Amino acid sequence: MPPIFSNKRLIVLLVCIIVLVALIGYSMSERRDMSLPEQLLHDSVGFVQSAFSRPAHLAAGFFETINDMRTVYEENKVLKSHLDDYASLQVELSELRRTNEELESSLGLQESAALNASSLRSARMISRSPDRWNEYIGIDKGARHGIEEDMAVITSKGLIGKVRDVSQLTSTVQLLSDQDRTNRISAFVDGEESIYGFIEGISDETGYLQFTKIDMDAELEEGMTVVTSGLGGVFPSELVIGEIVDYENDEFGLTQQAYVEPSADFNHLNHVMVVEREAPGLEPEIDPEEEDS
Amino acid sequence: MLVRYSVFIVLFVLFILEGTVYQIFAPDQYGFAYTMVPRWVLGVIVFAGILQGRGIGLSYAIVFGILYDIIYSPLLGVYSFGMALAIYLVSVTVPFVQKNMGMTVFLVLAAIVGLEYFVYSIYSLMGLAHMPHNLFLYQRLLPTFVFNGLIFIAAGYFIRKWLLLVNRRKDEII
Repeated sequence: MPPIFSNKRLIVLLVCIIVLVALIGYSMSERRDMSLPEQLLHDSVGFVQSAFSRPAHLAAGFFETINDMRTVYEENKVLKSHLDDYASLQVELSELRRTNEELESSLGLQESAALNASSLRSARMISRSPDRWNEYIGIDKGARHGIEEDMAVITSKGLIGKVRDVSQLTSTVQLLSDQDRTNRISAFVDGEESIYGFIEGISDETGYLQFTKIDMDAELEEGMTVVTSGLGGVFPSELVIGEIVDYENDEFGLTQQAYVEPSADFNHLNHVMVVEREAPGLEPEIDPEEEDS
Repeated sequence: MLVRYSVFIVLFVLFILEGTVYQIFAPDQYGFAYTMVPRWVLGVIVFAGILQGRGIGLSYAIVFGILYDIIYSPLLGVYSFGMALAIYLVSVTVPFVQKNMGMTVFLVLAAIVGLEYFVYSIYSLMGLAHMPHNLFLYQRLLPTFVFNGLIFIAAGYFIRKWLLLVNRRKDEII
């Protein structure tokens, strides 16, 4: 029986391994933009993918609609009871809005609205990585439509992730549930005082997002809402991430760690929205005194 | 003409289906606890490597490996190397085994398990996968094995017939 690898083949194999290591090193390098051939492939395959995923989404949506029809009656009852509260809330809202405007104008805080202003671009999910080692989805909008790296991606229910790679006509979104170490989003809890931390991937056992690096003295409660802080670059603030279901001290006992149930459903994605922050960034607005406190 | 290129076309359609249609209807999207990874492209390439020759199989493996790398994977080179190696190792054994149906399906499954392990080890090494080995075995590898096994047992006969037809047409043209 001849050996599995002859001498010549062994050399070819070694060269291949060297190329593999070099390629891995190249793709691990920090924040690399996609090269031209990659963009071309992404766009042309993306075109075919959207042709396939559209009818599939339609079919899936059809089955979901049938499922929904069975619960329509109960939902309608609940909604009607909500509707009664609506009128009183509306009055309260306009009252509060007016007071807020007055107070803001007296403080000279007019530009704060511009800081939070953002515009939405709707896109469709066209693909998802089949091997599930990474939680990436492809969407059918790219640099031509004004999408840039690190923009926040949301559904109607809440934040789902950020844009990772952009090519001309498609882009790749890294979901919050991705395990990558660099997949980190600055977030805060909107309580009596703001509690800051980072959302760092999903825990395998429970399926909850991990909200880490929380100050030891912060008083967490179950049911608190976690939203994005807007402290980093292009991420807008106040996008809902989820609710705290559990918390504990972290492994080193220096900070706290909470488990957050995501409000968006990462599984049934179809229409997503890419949020662009209109203000260029927080840098000029940062008040040195506030940073110290 | 169409028959000659049908292998490539079918592989490309399967590649697209894995990422789009299957992902929308995948059982784990509906609360199923186990991850079943579709490895249809790799399976059909193993069939092609056995029935049409090692060189053809290897070139398909490299082309679709590069596609996987660029479109779905954060690391370049993992799939193109892994798929090519799997196909090579599988087709090395071909002269020593019979080319019957059962053996072919067995080799397909061997290639799938090999590739899963290869990708798992590289991703763990690079810190992209944090799954402990026993969880990987029960939650991913076994379901993937059974799922792909059933599909290739069901479809194997047709794939084989179709590839042999392609071979015959090729001989006629030349």
